[in-house]
Amino acid sequence: MSTATATPAYRVTPARVLRSEWHKLWTLRSTWVTLVLTGALTLAMGVGISAAYDGSGEGGLDTVVFVLLGTQFAALNLAVLGILATAGEYSTGQIRATMTAVPRRLPVLWAKAAVLAAVAFTLSLWTNLLTFPLAQSFLAGTDQSAALGDPGVLRGLVGNAAGLALLAVTALGIGAVARSVPLATGAYIGLVMILPEVLRMLPHAVVDDAVRHFPAKALESLTAAQAGPGTTSPGTALLALTLWAAASLAAAATTLRRRDV
Amino acid sequence: MITAQDLTKRYGDRTVVTDLSFTVRPGTVTGFLGPNGAGKSTTLRMILGLDAPTRGHATVGGRSYAAHPAPLTEVGALLEARSVHPGRTAHHHLRALAHTHGIPRSRVEHVLALTGLTDVAHRRVKGFSLGMGQRLGIAAALLGDPAAVILDEPVNGLDPEGVLWIRTLLKSLAAEGRTVLVSSHLMSEMALTAEHLVIIGRGRLLADTTVTDFVRHSGTGTVKVVTPDATDLVRHLTAPGVDITADAPGSLTVRGTDAEHIGRTAAAHGIPLFELTPSTASLEEAFMDLTRDAVEYTAALEGAAA
Repeated sequence: MSTATATPAYRVTPARVLRSEWHKLWTLRSTWVTLVLTGALTLAMGVGISAAYDGSGEGGLDTVVFVLLGTQFAALNLAVLGILATAGEYSTGQIRATMTAVPRRLPVLWAKAAVLAAVAFTLSLWTNLLTFPLAQSFLAGTDQSAALGDPGVLRGLVGNAAGLALLAVTALGIGAVARSVPLATGAYIGLVMILPEVLRMLPHAVVDDAVRHFPAKALESLTAAQAGPGTTSPGTALLALTLWAAASLAAAATTLRRRDV
Repeated sequence: MITAQDLTKRYGDRTVVTDLSFTVRPGTVTGFLGPNGAGKSTTLRMILGLDAPTRGHATVGGRSYAAHPAPLTEVGALLEARSVHPGRTAHHHLRALAHTHGIPRSRVEHVLALTGLTDVAHRRVKGFSLGMGQRLGIAAALLGDPAAVILDEPVNGLDPEGVLWIRTLLKSLAAEGRTVLVSSHLMSEMALTAEHLVIIGRGRLLADTTVTDFVRHSGTGTVKVVTPDATDLVRHLTAPGVDITADAPGSLTVRGTDAEHIGRTAAAHGIPLFELTPSTASLEEAFMDLTRDAVEYTAALEGAAA
């Protein structure tokens, strides 16, 4: 065909699929709303809680965990963003256009995960680096007072951002398997928030050990400046979150390859 | 060139497409016809690699669609089901698709202009009418300047102006040497645009023919003749396979021969003709005759199951 020789440069490459997914993410209003909301909530909660803190030292929370209490909202918001990137394409029908352009399918999944991870990490990191000093300005003289240079603080702020990015990717994988936004959101909340709490009630040491490696607990260990009693080390927590994300992506890849679009 | 070889698709114990084989050639418009639920959309989805065949295979330009390094330059497709995120603008929808192949922004603007969407390109698809949505689907199909175009029920829900636009577009795409496969459940629509026909019913191939042959062999082509010497003309036309009925005094409907033969016969015998009108208006009936068995069988099965 003459058309084929006239367009020799047209060709699908991983970098181009990445660019396509990047373009898709930023051309939806829901992305902007979710990201602004995520950053604003974390910042507002950190500053609000710190301003209201009376220095009583109740709960004995780690100082980074305390300042980043809003991270739980961030985890849910970014998870929804991940679910919308995959399951959202099935509910709108966009997936048919996407998979017609890239019929090998898997590059789309990798590109979506990479774009989401990069955006979630960058946003969370900047939010954390802004929230910590702002919140600390209210905490001077209390037991929660700390500086960016204190041991573990910077690592906690960066670790939290990395953990949030991995959780978002986990949710993205769940979305690709479930192919339905409500179903995937339910599955994510069940896995990350409810299941560990239910399991914790079982009177077995082994279960306790396992729960520590569930996403929500691992994120907390990764965020803390100082490892508390009964938590894993930041390195183990990062590994656990990476494995959760990898398992979720593996399930998504299998589904994508085997099932009809 | 698009080929289907023994394509079979089963969902559980329901077989939607059975041993379907056909070839679609470049340079002509091929109509893919069948009643609703005949398996047309499933077949097209298998050609595009969206659905995996249970058995058999489909190729586009010699290999499976997914094996091409630049699929959008091989086939551009408009699927029956909507395939666009309603929250994105037409421009950004096409830009995102274009990025996957390294297709430049200028090409996106070109197909938007070609489909008459330039003015609404920066509006979100959510607010598009059915016709605008179809145009966007066609813009996406033409994005890669493809060698073949597959359109699933493109005229569904379009206003007369839109229908006319699609017909002209299909013919010009074929005239440019592209392979054009267009599905429809309306024979009359295909008779106006297609030259070749692939007809299926209940997932099986019923006919692979040209429109001309279909009309000739369907036996539904009639010629209306008005003459003052009707009795005389009937005597001369009477032959095996020719069926003549008198609708009114001096008005005949002739079946089984063509207008040329009738005209020459009349001239040879000095019979004046006031009217000689070939009619293919009953093409839809011929199509329904052909697919009736398939449809009835389905209805009977469903009746038995209920």
